[in-house]
Amino acid sequence: MSATQELEFRDAIRDAMSEEMRRDKRVMLIGEEVAEYNGAYKVSRGMLDEFGPRRVIDTPISESGFAGLAIGAAMMGLRPVVEFMSWSFSLVAADPILNNAPKMLFMSGGQFGCPIVFRGNDGAGGQLGSTHSWSVEGLFSNVPGIKIVIPSTPADAKGLMKTAIRDDDPVFFMESERMLGMKGDVPVGEDVLVKFGQALIRREGADCTLASWGRPVHFCMEAAQELAKEGISCEVIDLRTIRPLDIGSIERSVRKTSNLVIVDQSWSFGSPGSEVAAQIHQRCFDDLDNHVHRVHTEDVPAPYAYNLEQEYLPNTRKICEAVRSATYNA
Amino acid sequence: MPRLSDTMESGTIVRWNVKEGDAVKSGMVVADIETDKATMEMPVFDDGKILKLLVPAGQQVKVGTQIALILEDGESMDGAQSATSSGQPNASAAGRPSQNTSENAFVSANSNTRGASSVEPIDAQVEEILQADGARVRVSPVARRIAEQERVDLASLQGSGPGGRIIKRDVMNALENRGATPAAQTTESARASSMSSSAPTTSSQAHVAASSSLAVPVTPTHRAGGLVVAGLQSTEVAVSSMRQIIAKRLVESKTTIPHYQVSMKFELDRLMALREQLNSELASMGIKLSVNDFIVRGCALSMAKHPYVNASWAGEKILMHQQVNVGVAVALDEEKGGGLLVAVIRDVDRKSLRAISSETKALSEKARTRGLSMEEMSDSTFTVSNLGMFGVEHFTAIINPPNSAILACGAALKQPVVRDDQLTIGYEMTATLSLDHRVIDGAMAARWLNTLKALLENPATLLV
Repeated sequence: MSATQELEFRDAIRDAMSEEMRRDKRVMLIGEEVAEYNGAYKVSRGMLDEFGPRRVIDTPISESGFAGLAIGAAMMGLRPVVEFMSWSFSLVAADPILNNAPKMLFMSGGQFGCPIVFRGNDGAGGQLGSTHSWSVEGLFSNVPGIKIVIPSTPADAKGLMKTAIRDDDPVFFMESERMLGMKGDVPVGEDVLVKFGQALIRREGADCTLASWGRPVHFCMEAAQELAKEGISCEVIDLRTIRPLDIGSIERSVRKTSNLVIVDQSWSFGSPGSEVAAQIHQRCFDDLDNHVHRVHTEDVPAPYAYNLEQEYLPNTRKICEAVRSATYNA
Repeated sequence: MPRLSDTMESGTIVRWNVKEGDAVKSGMVVADIETDKATMEMPVFDDGKILKLLVPAGQQVKVGTQIALILEDGESMDGAQSATSSGQPNASAAGRPSQNTSENAFVSANSNTRGASSVEPIDAQVEEILQADGARVRVSPVARRIAEQERVDLASLQGSGPGGRIIKRDVMNALENRGATPAAQTTESARASSMSSSAPTTSSQAHVAASSSLAVPVTPTHRAGGLVVAGLQSTEVAVSSMRQIIAKRLVESKTTIPHYQVSMKFELDRLMALREQLNSELASMGIKLSVNDFIVRGCALSMAKHPYVNASWAGEKILMHQQVNVGVAVALDEEKGGGLLVAVIRDVDRKSLRAISSETKALSEKARTRGLSMEEMSDSTFTVSNLGMFGVEHFTAIINPPNSAILACGAALKQPVVRDDQLTIGYEMTATLSLDHRVIDGAMAARWLNTLKALLENPATLLV
């Protein structure tokens, strides 16, 4: 194994971008506050100094404009990384990011690709109110042509970001404001990549599979620890990307455990969680001991109050309850 | 009135087993219903009290007609009465996907009372529906798969999931109990494991038979003055659903039908000769007529003269059947837990020996390997049981309800016989008819046996 260094989540992303920018002159970073201010969340610290204002570009508050500009640049051969301060703000750029980027290759008959990465904070948890607390994967995973990456650790953030930048299709890369300060061991080396569509078993178990991605993976790990005290052994699967979806890994695990609880921080209706549930019901029908259970964000706009927001999101207690119910231990 | 067969349009209540005011439990057989095909038992799917029997025994009504009212526990009379007066078909009973729709026959007064107060929590309603649906075994998919692979009889398990659903844990516990003790290993489960290694049996019938191998050993010991004395060593074998049915039906037959027996000897020299001649000529076509085929045909032809032997007791009347459908008892392999099925050959009086022979052979084979469908086992009007192939000389059989008679045939044995006042060697068979005295008297039985004797002793008549 290669050596590792301890990095914050935000620095792992920065290192990935910087390494790719050194490696490939076509890579650039564009967004609000990414240059002079070193990023609204300090993700791009030092990048302006190293790469200069032609490759690290501050924009006005105009998501639709700079997203569209970057898509045009990608079509013409650059490989832009676009930072949305929050994915909640990407909604004003819905037309370029959903209607142009993912369809370009198809509609141009292969003449134009769109090798672009959109990245930013996703999900609630910071008392930002209803309009700034989106988990956009519920909406965006519905669109074909997009790759959606939601890492849960600094190491994955770096490895997946490098893969995202090298990928020839539009990639939506979703970070969490709540995790940017999280530290973790990250492999050193410019060519340590994490492939898309390869889930990781973060904890092995026998009684129930917990499938999740992004921040709730950590709640799943806590729940698994809690449930182990009750004699319920959980297998935690971190999907890492939901498009492409590594359904095979979940399938193999469910064949072993006979039970599945999906933890998804988007709303439940028409979500990645409901898609996984449908596919597992189809693939593992004869292996299930109970219907697939899901833990989602509650079906209401995000509340502002701290206590309500914690209840609104998937949390360890809700996951434990779902697992007990799925395994008939309720 | 539930639809108890695909073609049933109306049914006759042969007998009510309950009175108004009686308490009933889900699964209890409350009435016998004569359909276009057979008399069938009708269970209820709710717990409660019989409020009213709307259709008296003996009356024929169309499918879908209300025949009784059940008051569920905790229900008032008011709602039920409005149900009677409105006479609306009831749609509230839990829908069951199976063909048996009998729960709809019982108007649950509950629907009306529920309509009045709609504040009942959803969970309670769901729970109620789950419980009302008592007859269906609920099994999680993986529990069903494991039970099939390991040959665990699901009917013998108590589900611990919601609504009594049998879950993986229940099947695993049953397996653990089966495999845990050495005594079980040496006897029954050794048999089970040898079976699981053989070719998979797909039929539910065969599966039911096989599942009787689920064994739990019981080894009681008696302590007397500090001395441990081994008691009777026994092994407990779970009863398959087939054996449960055999037990139930035969106890019912033997205890409710006034049985008596009449025996007769048959000279079979000519029949044996004819059989040999036919078989040698038909051998090239792969046809081998058995003595039983001749007997089955003979029995069917005898019915024309004595229709009461081809009838069923139906409470206040006797049903004279228009068809002659002869049931042939088929014993299942002892290694698979034994069991007995009756394969029904329809319209035997209109079938040739060859047709009877090939149909019997096909159905027996199917019974032993894949099991028989309901259709292949239902609607018999008379039954033949034959132990001749085991060299049995004489035995008696228990009537197969709703039949009124069953013929128990011994072997056609070569023995010293008197023919034309001369002692000589000939074939003789003893057959014993068991009869329902409510339908058939002794003299009628004797006359029927004489008719059969004339046919079997002049076997050419069986060919026309």
